Amino acid sequence: MTELANSGIGAPLPREGARRLAEGRGRYVDDITLPGLLHIAFVRAPFAHGRLLGIETDDALEVPGVVAVIDGRRLAEICAPFDTNPPGVPGHASAPQPPLVVDESCFQGEAVAAVVAESRAAAEDGAELVFLDWDELPAVCSIEDAQAEDAAPVHTRFSDNLSLRHRFGAEDVSEAFHGAAHVVEADFSFGRQTGVTLEPRGIVAHWDPRTEELEVWQSHQVPWQMREVYARQLGLSPQSVRVTAPDVGGAFGLKLHAYADELAAVAVSRLLGRPVKYIVDRLESFTADAHAREARASCRMAVDAEGHILGIDAVVDAGFGAYAMHPRGSFGEAMQAAQMIGAPYRVGAFRAEVRGWRQNKAPSGAYRGVGQPIACAITEEMIDLASRAADIDPAEMRRINYRRTLDEGTRATQAGLVVEELSLDACLDKLLEAMDYTALRSEQAALRAKGIYRGIGLASFVELTGVGAGLYGPLGLTVAANEACRLTLQPDGSLTCATSVTDQGQGTLSAIAQLIAGEFGIAPEGVRMVAGDTGRTPYGGGAWASRGMALGGEAAKRACARLRDGLLELAAGILQCEPEALRFEQGEIIGPKGASGLDLAELAALCHYRPYDSPTGQVPPMTVEESFVPAALPYIASNGVHAVHLEVDPELGTVDLLGYWVVDDCGTVVNPLLVDEQLRGGIVQGIGAALYEECLYSEDGQFTNGTLADYVVPMAGEMPDIFVEHVSTPTRATGLGARGVGEAGTVGGLGAVRTALGDALVPTGARVSQQPFTPGRVLAAIMAAEDAE
Amino acid sequence: MEMQDSRIIAAPRETVFEGILKPEMLRACIPGAEDVTGSAEDGFEAVVVQKVGPVKARFKGAVTIEDVLPGTSLRLVGEGKGGAAGFARGAATVTLADHPEGTELTYAVDAKVGGKIAQLGSRIIDGFARKMADQFFERFKTELEGARPVAPSLED
Amino acid sequence: MPDDLIRFTLNGRRIAVPSTRGHLGDLLRHELGETGTHIGCEHGVCGACNVVMDGRVTRSCLTLAVQVDGAEIETIEHAGNDRCGAALQDAFVARNAFQCGYCTPGMIMTARELLSENAAPGRAEIRDAISGNLCRCTGYQAIVEAISDAAEALRETADD
Repeated sequence: MTELANSGIGAPLPREGARRLAEGRGRYVDDITLPGLLHIAFVRAPFAHGRLLGIETDDALEVPGVVAVIDGRRLAEICAPFDTNPPGVPGHASAPQPPLVVDESCFQGEAVAAVVAESRAAAEDGAELVFLDWDELPAVCSIEDAQAEDAAPVHTRFSDNLSLRHRFGAEDVSEAFHGAAHVVEADFSFGRQTGVTLEPRGIVAHWDPRTEELEVWQSHQVPWQMREVYARQLGLSPQSVRVTAPDVGGAFGLKLHAYADELAAVAVSRLLGRPVKYIVDRLESFTADAHAREARASCRMAVDAEGHILGIDAVVDAGFGAYAMHPRGSFGEAMQAAQMIGAPYRVGAFRAEVRGWRQNKAPSGAYRGVGQPIACAITEEMIDLASRAADIDPAEMRRINYRRTLDEGTRATQAGLVVEELSLDACLDKLLEAMDYTALRSEQAALRAKGIYRGIGLASFVELTGVGAGLYGPLGLTVAANEACRLTLQPDGSLTCATSVTDQGQGTLSAIAQLIAGEFGIAPEGVRMVAGDTGRTPYGGGAWASRGMALGGEAAKRACARLRDGLLELAAGILQCEPEALRFEQGEIIGPKGASGLDLAELAALCHYRPYDSPTGQVPPMTVEESFVPAALPYIASNGVHAVHLEVDPELGTVDLLGYWVVDDCGTVVNPLLVDEQLRGGIVQGIGAALYEECLYSEDGQFTNGTLADYVVPMAGEMPDIFVEHVSTPTRATGLGARGVGEAGTVGGLGAVRTALGDALVPTGARVSQQPFTPGRVLAAIMAAEDAE
Repeated sequence: MEMQDSRIIAAPRETVFEGILKPEMLRACIPGAEDVTGSAEDGFEAVVVQKVGPVKARFKGAVTIEDVLPGTSLRLVGEGKGGAAGFARGAATVTLADHPEGTELTYAVDAKVGGKIAQLGSRIIDGFARKMADQFFERFKTELEGARPVAPSLED
Repeated sequence: MPDDLIRFTLNGRRIAVPSTRGHLGDLLRHELGETGTHIGCEHGVCGACNVVMDGRVTRSCLTLAVQVDGAEIETIEHAGNDRCGAALQDAFVARNAFQCGYCTPGMIMTARELLSENAAPGRAEIRDAISGNLCRCTGYQAIVEAISDAAEALRETADD
């Protein structure tokens, strides 16, 4: 019985299928091979901006094993370029992006020619002998350069580099700033990052002329989206395309996009009628994967003498790169970075202007948190600056300004956000207690007297999870926002759940199995999960915007209810009682007189093999399908508070993380073991952003640190232990009550390190505006402050 | 990146200057040169194979000679296009001066790379470019002085 | 032509394969079908490709295939055959010490070497030992705990 009690919602069960991975039995895309498989190596643009004059392929074609060298003109005959200009985003402008450069290349690393060979090694040998003839064109790389009056265009089809302009909130907020007790102001610079999935992107595509079907295996988050994309670009019926995501070695939003090189691989297979494989190598992944986060911002905040926020006025300039990522565009990060500023607080007057700029750099796209880490970092530092101006403790400052919509009911903020059921007060209480905030503050004061600079940083966040159809639908984008579950009772009494949700290691599938098992009182092993395959799963979103449990879990719960209701009705007929008197326990039906002798296996056998034994002659459907998308709300907001304790060495500029705490509210927690690791993993990516990670380009657009030795990501030695605690406010939007959690760590991580660093540097008078906060930048800020004295 | 160095060459200034203008000299001196054709007036075409860190590159390039002050100075400008590896371009300003032991050749090199080779980071690139320039002028000295390259002794 | 063969022992089996100019990681994965060893960076930074070569953890992406001639190679597929590897695999699963699983084989090979040399490593020692293995998913804490748990389990069963 204990085992049963532990199998449903809330049990920290190990992940189903995890052992396979621990024993090296994962099946990632590069582990898949097919008879007659060809391999691709791409020749990529060496310039940030150039006009392609010619391609010499003769030498490459002589390399043994090389089958073909295919250029952009050849592919253009059978494959349309990405056109990423959602009709619903006014003023949005992005150049069409062909699978391979046709005449103008706009970033270093853009794929130009595909060398196709019997082995990857032969393809690479061939690629070395393809010579490209170019005219180099002027490149525009930094946001400032892109903004300049006389800036050269990133793409010659445009006369300037402005790709997006939008305003959230009021046109004029100056009234709120007049007569405010305190007005604080700061500039911010956010470094360009990339997701660095340990398994690089990869694809196997097979257009089979015999069946006229395209089969694709791809390391990806959203197979259904990719089915639509490949069908559209190649002019195929979506029904003739099947996309499967096998085991995926990390995704983080990076594998949410459609990439030109992957489209080229699919098109090459269509052209040659042979299966082809393309695995991105690490050097390519740095220059050709989606980047993220590059932004500059300035923000002003007005507060009254008691610390109440009176107004926020912000401008965010985002670096989009050369093209909008297909199909969702690059504007999401910029929009959320502006719109989410101040989200956890009652902010009075609100204005946030956002502009997106094209640059001759890799396209920017979704990366864990999408803009929200930027908004959180800006907001939390502004709160700290205001708390210092008003001489109020930063924790208290937050508390007096928190939105308390649990009491106030659902309504939109001035920024247009619909946030409901927040629990920031409760999260903060738990957090301050866990970290012993008061003691840390006294210790900080004592150490400051000795010249030891420790900082305590807080970051509250509101995060939009389980985003529904309201985001992409009105923009005219064909992106599924629902999640679906097709639940089947197999003849042997076991259950199969085919879900549209995909899993890149989060453990969502395992948690859904746990949920379903709980509904029937069976062990999770009795539920077989099927996912990541458009040939076997119902239509739906996949993995984006923290939706796995919030939406996919809800769909599964609803499917369970329907399947169970049908089975209980059948059982009630057999047992001559009311269905309401029956329930499942250990897979067996328990009636008014206890165990009925009817279990899932018996009912399944009856339905499949002996339907005539049903008292009514009818049997319930053995497969039910439910789809869920939030309808009453555009998304399901979650919230939480992060805290960081760190020490800065003022001589070296280094930052040592001493402690990290987070209290998160993701509503119903199905499996805390999985949820806590989502938070920790997300936080470490936030720390990476804060302290290490940055894509560095030279002035003329050369990516200069594109190796894992040069682009620094967090390793075990530098990371602190992370304390995780929960407040649980189940959302009223679903029966399950789960909110998203996959991005919550990253959303708050950057802000918490930023505020802690700012706090540590208070005695020096220094402020570091540019992230990541490298020792060089910290030292420069300290020295600048000394000079200013 | 930029770098500067000099060599003392045991040959008269005129001989040194004329040497730079000969295609066979370029072929002998450009490290990894597979083929050099052309002339000082019209420019040279060269095919060069080099390995930069893990990236092996075959560059097809053009070398032109500019700003010629006979017997005194000139500029060698080269641009190489490598397939998957990217590109390399550079210019060397060569100045000659009389020296008790012959001629002092001073060179200032400004080199730039792009594409995959640039991505590997300046740590590798700087050393690579320096090695290329050093090798070029060391071979040039050896060729002009008429000596065979000296095999490294066992003590080294 | 015996000279054109690479002969070595892989997970206790004697192997002879035609010589190839690729690295050991590619040889294991693409010629021999042992796909548990993963390639993450091909420049020796991430540790996903770690295997054991003649008793030492080695980056298979930095080892040429021809270098293993005469060597003894062990990969993740074989790591569970000893107590230590099995204890680590159990602990990694129990503690949810990985998500996508791509780094896990290399991580377990590294951890196994640590535990063979140090039966009771402290948390800092564990963090230090795995600091050449990139995990992008977990934040490392669960990995540290899993290795610590495995060490404890091994100590408890040492006399059995």
